[in-house]
Amino acid sequence: MIDIIQIIIESPFIQRALLASIMIAIIAAASGTFLVFRGLSFMASGVAHAALGGAALGIFLQDSGLVPWFDPILGALLFSILVAAFTGYAGESGITQKMEVAVGVSFALSMSFAVFLMYYIPPYKVPLIWGYLIGDILLLNDLDIIMLGSTTLLLAVITLMFNKEFVYVSVDMEGSTAHGMNARAYHYLMLIVSALAIALATKAVGAILVYAIMVAPAAASNELVKSVRGVIFAVFLIALFAELVGIAASFVLFVSPSAIAGILAALSYILALQIKRVRDRVDVEIDDFNLSPDDLNTTWNQAVANEHEDGHEH
Amino acid sequence: MMSTTPLIETHDLAVRYPNGALALHHVSFEIKSPSFMAIIGPNGSGKSTLVKTALGLIKPSRGTIKVMGYDSQKKSGKIRKLVRYVPQRDSIDHTVPVKVKDIVLMGRLLKKLPPRFATSKDIAAAKDALQQVNMEELWERPFPELSGGQRQRVLVARALAGEGSILVLDEPLAGTDVESQDLIVAALGRYHKENDVSIIMITHDLNPIHTLVEDVLLLKNTVIGLGEPCSIMDPELIKKVYGPTARIVEHSGHRYCMTHDSGIDRHD
Ligand SMILES: Nc1ncnc2c1ncn2[C@@H]1O[C@H](COP(=O)(O)OP(=O)(O)O)[C@@H](O)[C@H]1O
Ligand SMILES: [Mg+2]
Repeated sequence: MIDIIQIIIESPFIQRALLASIMIAIIAAASGTFLVFRGLSFMASGVAHAALGGAALGIFLQDSGLVPWFDPILGALLFSILVAAFTGYAGESGITQKMEVAVGVSFALSMSFAVFLMYYIPPYKVPLIWGYLIGDILLLNDLDIIMLGSTTLLLAVITLMFNKEFVYVSVDMEGSTAHGMNARAYHYLMLIVSALAIALATKAVGAILVYAIMVAPAAASNELVKSVRGVIFAVFLIALFAELVGIAASFVLFVSPSAIAGILAALSYILALQIKRVRDRVDVEIDDFNLSPDDLNTTWNQAVANEHEDGHEH
Repeated sequence: MMSTTPLIETHDLAVRYPNGALALHHVSFEIKSPSFMAIIGPNGSGKSTLVKTALGLIKPSRGTIKVMGYDSQKKSGKIRKLVRYVPQRDSIDHTVPVKVKDIVLMGRLLKKLPPRFATSKDIAAAKDALQQVNMEELWERPFPELSGGQRQRVLVARALAGEGSILVLDEPLAGTDVESQDLIVAALGRYHKENDVSIIMITHDLNPIHTLVEDVLLLKNTVIGLGEPCSIMDPELIKKVYGPTARIVEHSGHRYCMTHDSGIDRHD
């Protein structure tokens, strides 16, 4: 134990990695949760990859001398906001499918853009772009931490202030508007702040891990936990646990911390599905004798619907 | 004779969706206030479109619609202060793990500014509303775990708990069993009688509420009929809208409408 503390005190890169873990767990809890509530988990991956296209643009503009001050991270932030705005526009009516399509299109567009620009970027700089995909939490510098920290703070404050509004937009956008709330504004606020946080998290830990950490713990918690606050808290714990184990394991096994964390996060979802299945089985045994007619009806309809789906598959 | 502001007033209203579907055309009518009003008509007849346009959620492509004298396009803010709205059930998400109490309080908190804290008065109103639909025991239950009928009851409670003189409910009886239907209808009837509020209810089936409603608007993309329930339950009118198999039966002094149309509206 003393040894571990000693190592942490003596190595600033571990301190930064620990700080980043906490911040990314907060981002997962605040953004990931609401994206999963809105059926928009795909947006985390869309934004992460758009950040890659934006970074490519930044590297190109700097390297070609066109706009020397244009840092790749500016490009990443710009592109992620564009994806969020586009997704938000497609989903103004509250229809999830349309948003999914918008994410898919902007995902494809920004990746194509990145690959296109690679021809104009000197080969030795190309790995910088791919670095956005892989990322390494142990390689962060102070500036990374400051940027990540300030967006995390912004995201946390906004989520604390407007969590009711975000829930209302997720549950009943039309009704919220009809009661006089500016649901559209909150809809965009939620998507854009999430996108900013995801883009910076991508720079820190890589697109793949961001996707795993943003989506899997939130999806896992949403299967098991039965209150909004509970889900947010559970996501924070799962995400933090996955990252810390990832960092610890990277010292013992000499593997990428992101890989371990990503695998653990994904496993949390599979585990949650298993727990839920066992729990449902127990519930049914208890409830079997006091089903109300209404419930029976629903169960019957679900059974019919399931049969239908099965029929389609075979 | 004293003239009061009508509840709804439309002039030559037409609504076309961006995909070209003409949902409403040549709609002109006026309903006095206060009223318990039903909007009926088959699937796709423009019922939901009409109320959404009234609330300023959709733009008319032609004509005007006013609610309590306020134009739905220019004064939607004023209208939304008066309105408590329950949308059609398929526009309510049921994956977010909110509690029943959150849904019921939502009607009141939406009329406040952030941070929208619930006062003890809000909580008392919410509990009272849940009691009206016999759901007070489910206060802490997750909303997604309820059955379809129970969810509709909670949403009706959200409308009852709120403030504002107009309740707008889009098919609150869709997908409910007889018990839930009776509870919802009784609660709405009682609420209308005891309070100075108007209720606008879209429904597939006029029968459960026809003793309560004062005005019925029969739609099929335009106004087919407007009047008291019994004058709307006219064999000719009903056949015009629901087809030749529709029948009207008389039973203990009331007319009942028999159609093959009893599904739930669904549009994406
Ligand atoms: N969002 C939409 N986009 C395109 N067409 C729509 C949309 N909503 C409804 N419609 C069309 O407008 C017509 C009226 O729909 P609606 O008002 O929902 O009818 P009702 O509520 O009476 O079932 C239908 O033909 C429907 O297909
Ligand atoms: Mg409808």
